[in-house]
Amino acid sequence: MSELNGIDLKNCLLNAIVDVFDTMLSMEVEAGESNPEEITDSRIVGTVGFAGKVMGCVSLHVGDAFAENITAAMLGMEPDEIESDEEIYDVIGELSNMLGGDLKSRLCDAGFDCQLSIPSTTSGSNFKIESKGWMEQERIGFTSGNDKGLAEIFIKTGD
Amino acid sequence: MTVKILTVDDSKTIRMIVKKAFKAFDCKLSEAENGVEGLAAAAKEKPDLIVLDITMPVMNGIEMLEKLKGEPDLQDIPVIMLTAESGKDSVMQIVKMGVKDYMVKPFKGEQLIERAEKVVQLEAKKAEEVAADASKQYFSLEDDVQVMTMPVKINRQVNTQVEGFLKTKLQDIVKSGISKLILNLSKAEETNMSLIKVIVQVLQACKKASLNIQIVGTEALSEGLKGFAETSEIKIAFSLDEAKSAF
Repeated sequence: MSELNGIDLKNCLLNAIVDVFDTMLSMEVEAGESNPEEITDSRIVGTVGFAGKVMGCVSLHVGDAFAENITAAMLGMEPDEIESDEEIYDVIGELSNMLGGDLKSRLCDAGFDCQLSIPSTTSGSNFKIESKGWMEQERIGFTSGNDKGLAEIFIKTGD
Repeated sequence: MTVKILTVDDSKTIRMIVKKAFKAFDCKLSEAENGVEGLAAAAKEKPDLIVLDITMPVMNGIEMLEKLKGEPDLQDIPVIMLTAESGKDSVMQIVKMGVKDYMVKPFKGEQLIERAEKVVQLEAKKAEEVAADASKQYFSLEDDVQVMTMPVKINRQVNTQVEGFLKTKLQDIVKSGISKLILNLSKAEETNMSLIKVIVQVLQACKKASLNIQIVGTEALSEGLKGFAETSEIKIAFSLDEAKSAF
């Protein structure tokens, strides 16, 4: 655990969210609860894994309505112009890729070389993502207007 | 001269953002979803610029770039790499491979244009061409009727856009032999001044162009329009079929 102490994962994740949402979506994001509950309603989770000297994954959880607003903002359209769920999954996957990319860069610069996976998305309701055996886990909530989301990172050093 | 640009990215979202960024310029965009498709497209299209993602399935951007640099016909095509990774090692690896420039995601369309302009000469499209492009999202042809569908939110920006293309578009419609137009406002969720302006603009332009017009909307919209002097007398059809049969 001490090996990763130099990196403030929580702050890195929050800064990445603020930057990605501002640049790609022109959406202002504020930090929400420090240890938020899971979103239990129907939601979409974008996940990117990284492996190398450190292993782990970054996930972005957003409710369906928020995901639609995000997709519309990213593609410069109205929410009712979204043609399919595929567009929403692609956008959420791409956002998690950007979050993962930012964190991966910080880890690599700190000497923890790793490779990033292609993003994946999961959707549904009443499911919980549980990861075990990680050295560090951070979960942060954030808000954009009335919409709430959360981001998580699980990490451990490679063998 | 039209600049040919190839975007290679597995994300449709990023391909759309790139396409949108170059929309205002005289460019021909082509797309590929991975390195294999990208190489084939590059060989076929001989683009003036390639915007290349790194992390992709099948063949990633680094492999594609290596193969591209190994092809005498393709090695001189300038490449701007797109990467979600800003780490020193990633950047050094990209730079060493001879790319013209790189962009770290997240990025804005304007930033991509700035980088592209250093590599290729982009010419802004003429105002009429931009207006014609903008009008495409609103118009569809149903049998012998042109349907102009307005979005959920009608604001000043939409108003200005419509103003920019309306006259020319209606002239083109008339020239093509069509004499009926339906203004579809069924998605509009708010009756505001921008909406009223659009209705007035379209009615006046149709009158000038001698086009028959019907308006489609919801009952709430119909009620809302009665509160404005400019639209209080307008009859609203509640479906496209009702509007078509009213001609």
